Amino acid sequence: MSDGKYFSTTKRGEIHELKEELRSLDRPKKKDAVKKVIAAMTVGKDVSMLFPDVVNCMQTDDLELKKLVYLYLINYAKTQPDLAIMAVNTFVKDSQDPNPLIRALAVRTMGCIRVDKITEYLCDPLQRCLKDDDPYVRKTAAICVAKLYDINPELVEDRGFLDMLREMLSDANPMVVANALAALQEIQELAGGGGKDLLQMTTQTLNKLLAALNECTEWGQVFILDSLAAYDTRDPRDAEKIAERVLPRLQHVNSAVVLSAVKVILRCMDVVALGPGGGEETIKAWSKKMAPPLVTLLASEPEVQYVALRNINLIVQRRPAILANEVKVFFCKYNDPLYVKMEKLEIMIRLASDKNIDQVLLELKEYAQEVDVDFVRKSVRAIGRCAVALERATERCINVLLELIQTKVSYVVQEAIIVIKDIFRRYPNQYESIIATLCDNLDSLDEPEAKSSMVWIIGEYAERIDNADELLEAFLETFPEETAMVQLQLLTATVKLFLKKPTESAQKMISAVLSCATTETDNPDLRDRAYIYWRLLSTDPEAAKDVVLAEKPVIADDSSTLDPSLLEQLVSRHLATVAAVYHRPPETFVSRQRMAVTRAEELGSRKFEEEDGATPGALVSDNNAAAAAGAAAAAAASSIGDLLDLSDASPVPVPPAAAGGGGGAATTAPAAARGLDDLLGGLDLGPTTTTSTSMPAAPAGSSADPFAALSAPTGATPGALGMSPGALSQLPVLLANPGGVSVQGRLVRQGAQPVYQLALRNDTPAPVDGLMIQTNRNSFGLSPASQVLVLATPGGAAIPPGGVTAVRVPLLVDPSKVTPPPLSTALQVALRTNQVGVLYFNDTVSLSALTEEGGTMEAADFLAAWKALPPEASARLPLAVPSAEVAKQRLAAANLFVLAHRQVPATGQDAIYATCRISAGGVGQLLLELKFVAGAGGVDVSVKAERQDCAQLVFDGLPAVLLGAA
Amino acid sequence: MISQFYILSSRGDVIIRKDYLGDVPRTSSETFFRNSKFWKEGDGEAPPVFNVDGVTYLHIKEGGVQLVATTRSNLSPSFVLEFLKRICTIVKDYCGFLSEDAIRKNVVLIYELLDEVVDYGFPQSTATEALKQFVVNEPTVVAPAFYQAKPLFSLSKGPTGVFKSVLDTARTDGKRRDEIFVDVVERITCTFNASGYIASAQVDGAVQIKSYLAGNPPIKIKLNDDLLIGRRDTPYGMLGAERDARAAERGAMVVLDDCNFHEVANLDSFDVDRTISLVPPDGEFALMNYRTSHGLKPPFRLHTSVEADPHSEYKALLTLRLWCEVPADKAASGLEVEVPTPRWVQRVHCDLEGGASGAAAGGRAAAAAAAAAAQQQNWDFNEKTHLLRWRFKRCPGGSEFTLRARLTLERPYGASLRSEVGPVNLRFTIPMYSASRIMLKYLQILKKAEKNYNPYRWVRYVTTSNSYTFRT
Repeated sequence: MSDGKYFSTTKRGEIHELKEELRSLDRPKKKDAVKKVIAAMTVGKDVSMLFPDVVNCMQTDDLELKKLVYLYLINYAKTQPDLAIMAVNTFVKDSQDPNPLIRALAVRTMGCIRVDKITEYLCDPLQRCLKDDDPYVRKTAAICVAKLYDINPELVEDRGFLDMLREMLSDANPMVVANALAALQEIQELAGGGGKDLLQMTTQTLNKLLAALNECTEWGQVFILDSLAAYDTRDPRDAEKIAERVLPRLQHVNSAVVLSAVKVILRCMDVVALGPGGGEETIKAWSKKMAPPLVTLLASEPEVQYVALRNINLIVQRRPAILANEVKVFFCKYNDPLYVKMEKLEIMIRLASDKNIDQVLLELKEYAQEVDVDFVRKSVRAIGRCAVALERATERCINVLLELIQTKVSYVVQEAIIVIKDIFRRYPNQYESIIATLCDNLDSLDEPEAKSSMVWIIGEYAERIDNADELLEAFLETFPEETAMVQLQLLTATVKLFLKKPTESAQKMISAVLSCATTETDNPDLRDRAYIYWRLLSTDPEAAKDVVLAEKPVIADDSSTLDPSLLEQLVSRHLATVAAVYHRPPETFVSRQRMAVTRAEELGSRKFEEEDGATPGALVSDNNAAAAAGAAAAAAASSIGDLLDLSDASPVPVPPAAAGGGGGAATTAPAAARGLDDLLGGLDLGPTTTTSTSMPAAPAGSSADPFAALSAPTGATPGALGMSPGALSQLPVLLANPGGVSVQGRLVRQGAQPVYQLALRNDTPAPVDGLMIQTNRNSFGLSPASQVLVLATPGGAAIPPGGVTAVRVPLLVDPSKVTPPPLSTALQVALRTNQVGVLYFNDTVSLSALTEEGGTMEAADFLAAWKALPPEASARLPLAVPSAEVAKQRLAAANLFVLAHRQVPATGQDAIYATCRISAGGVGQLLLELKFVAGAGGVDVSVKAERQDCAQLVFDGLPAVLLGAA
Repeated sequence: MISQFYILSSRGDVIIRKDYLGDVPRTSSETFFRNSKFWKEGDGEAPPVFNVDGVTYLHIKEGGVQLVATTRSNLSPSFVLEFLKRICTIVKDYCGFLSEDAIRKNVVLIYELLDEVVDYGFPQSTATEALKQFVVNEPTVVAPAFYQAKPLFSLSKGPTGVFKSVLDTARTDGKRRDEIFVDVVERITCTFNASGYIASAQVDGAVQIKSYLAGNPPIKIKLNDDLLIGRRDTPYGMLGAERDARAAERGAMVVLDDCNFHEVANLDSFDVDRTISLVPPDGEFALMNYRTSHGLKPPFRLHTSVEADPHSEYKALLTLRLWCEVPADKAASGLEVEVPTPRWVQRVHCDLEGGASGAAAGGRAAAAAAAAAAQQQNWDFNEKTHLLRWRFKRCPGGSEFTLRARLTLERPYGASLRSEVGPVNLRFTIPMYSASRIMLKYLQILKKAEKNYNPYRWVRYVTTSNSYTFRT
């Protein structure tokens, strides 16, 4: 019986036919029909309309049919949550079935239906199944706890499921232990790195895990090994005990087990090293046992090899002794994929020593004559890097390079010249004898890097090359066409030549180059450098010599060496993980977060588009290129970490990356999930206590009584927002969420305080209630006066299906929530609902919401301040403002006080001088100069302030003010 | 954990798709296919682990399909890759073979299998044996279309020629056949330097078992008595290692550098008499993996010479002499010699000679022998890749062959041609031959109840080239 036939029907009325068949009483026919439905589902056809019919087939004692129906259910429950509820009764019944297979199936499937409503039905069966007699059911239930946690973490904690999981770590069945452990690790990850230690590893649990290690499946062994690696022990005896139990795992067939075991043992080594005598003997013995299994990994498939090699690269940097004698096994095979060859080369370079360099060089020379250009280039570079790293082998390396140059293969020659330049820089004045050979190969140079290397060599050793001037002259012929890199080198080399050999021809050359570089180029770097040389040469040639011919620092090979602290982190914490493959800390790419329930589908369409926009450029495994970007992303991740953090008063630095992070609150980082927990935890305390903790220092101008904001439902009607329902819909869209809850809103200033005007639309079929709001830490310390939203609807608390409700959220300035500079206008907001989980959206803080009433100053003070303050930041805003008079009115309306207005005589410009004060976030007084260019349709804005970083706030906020939109 | 799993056809169509965590968009399969097909860094293949927009993609290729897992966490990549490999094995065990066709014909079964082996992105029990009690769908066994015309070198690691589902053992309709396959599969990596000496050599081997025995009776396997496991048996230190190396070179011992065993292996008596007892689980598995670099006798030797043609400076003579040094009763069932030549070689013409007798002068018999030998071998030259290929259908042990090629050059002959030809790469498969000389002394099936129980026992050896290179 082939499943292929299920794909064959393409007739019309197919759905109808299937419906008939599903209702058939004939069991095989029914089964066939479900199979057809599933087949259609896998090729992407929409068969969701058959949901009720398929669910009707569920009540059967035929295991195969039941499994098929369950398979269908998992797929469609997300999009049809209400229908899925129909199936709940059967699930609950099945979870008590005498057949353990069916019990497990029911609990497994229920957990996969990520609908909030199902959780209340899930808890009881889950509790039962966690205590089931059958290990198969127990292990399935353990995983189900992690699923439930993803949907509803509070429930998991309230029902004590975490404690039950911890108890399961001592289960008699190793599968159950492994799954309980895996579930705990997963929950830990979802809860975020800063969360409390869920595993609560004690000596007792440790012993249990070590005992289970031998009996688990290979996958379970990896879970256990990973938790052992995370176990922080300072006791060398503990470490030895662990290592003794883990060492036999090195013989395992599964490379994941081997690598995780290696990780544990390396950790143990670090601990043992703290012990008496530095544990030298122990470390040596363990090292010896680790080498053969690591080498054996290289006999596996290329994919596994690649991962192993990336890890080995780290291991040999941290503990070179382990593989010091094994360089031969890293020699490339003819048929290795390129990605394996490249990694092997890296490790060969690292393992190269005075002892084995001859062998290594012989290999590298062979590689340099192969067909693959990328590989050949990298091999030639490798020879150069060996020369730079091993002083005693330099001469041999150079000889190999010279032999390679003799092949006259263009890219080999060019690559060789590039590395020879590096060798000259590493060992100055030692190997100049080979320059003649290099000079024979000038014709084949056509790549900028090779060219500039050669030019550098000529300039540096001009006094020893008889015909240096002729050689340079030949290069100079094409000076205007060269790339900037070559031009810069040519310029410097010519100056060096002139200083070393001030002949007539050199003089001619230098004046030609200088005039060309200063007059005919539009590259400022080149021009500036030429001017500097020119001035140096014309004023003080001796000084020029001191500058240009100064001794250069000796270089070292660090082209792919990791930062020691990063290396330490990768080896001791993240070996055998994706981080170790990318050679980057996990914060830079891990983007897990707890998914809000039932949003999975929308996520596909909406959120990831945002993310695509926010993080252009793939994070590839290339460690060097991505390191900088990685650091920024790491910082961004940490700033998201403090999202909604109510209790933690210590400010977290916000780097600039956070300001540009369009992904904002909804992106990435386990830390975000932690913040979320805190939010929810905080909300659970009830509005009263929360409010009082969140506004310990309400600034002047806002309500002095924190409870006033709570008790007075000021924003209870749309009228309170001062706009008609029509105008309501004009508010900018902050979160479009068809089929869910959408948010529109704007930050304005009302009654001497910033106020969030929000309009919430409920497109779900059910009323939405339990609305609460919170903001992330931001540059101005803006946070809601009350987290509970008081709605303007008759019911007071719920938005009816299809309804739009306006809410007015007064914001307070809470100095404890101010992020340190630089200033950012980004505001991340979370909105919690009982029905659709937590929604995140990003907004920007508008200037007019912050400027304070009475923030004016005397004109004379303005003048004095303008002179005293550091230079202004300026920008031209492309705005069409009707006239300066209109602009003045609009500025005044936005608490930007105009102090002076004059016409700039010659230009016909209107210049307006204005000031405003923003105490939120400690911004202070801002001084503004606005110049209206007649006819040009633009406004030149200059800003001066104590803080340099607030200019952008003005540039961002002014357009809205000047256009009267605020 | 794993967020998604999917199987893609060679054209990038999704054949199987499972979403576990819902935190990666559905379009990720397209993102993956685009990136793996057009890897940005040069024209090399995409590495098996890469990250695009915060999603890590891990993938392997087997049987013409790609198996992909995505994740957003920092998990162990080898864990995922090993797991993907295991899924391949399970599909093979159930469907007899892994191919796009086999998957398409067994979609529902594969979904059911996946539901058992992964729960919420966590691998569960993946032993075929254990799965049998939970999985109810029946497989459609698919034999590959090229079953008959199997390419010579597709044999990589697994046992050959068996396309049979493990479920067949449970059959009661009389079609069932009790049998067990024990395969010693070895891959040679060997590099010869320009003077013909071995620069490095290694054999990676595995003892693979595929059991179709009803009731899973225990079995017992014995390996060579003279087997030494280098770093295990002799305590660490150069003395022991040197002794082993010398012993192996004299041919007295088979010395393994390292080996590992499947968890079912009972090694209680292994150190005493080199026997392993086990209850073979259903499906294919590697009982033992090993590697050795000691005492390898290379199955092929090759000598390359490049000379100027005295008659024309735009011609050169390339001579390859090949010796097959496996025992005379064995033969390579396929051999391919690849000679890369530099770009300035325009055309090539070859004369082939050799065979068991060698073409002696004159005579009809000798001419017939030469013709027969020529039928066994042929050559071609690709003018785009400048690759000269010399192929043999069969290459018996103890034979010697010569290829004389006249190269037409773009520019006059120069001495550099000699180093620019090569390295010569050999690919071959030698059945019933183990390069490490590891042997299965016996295979016992310990089933006491039935006296006449005598299932088919297949013990096979095969050695293939992994990378077998002669430098010039």
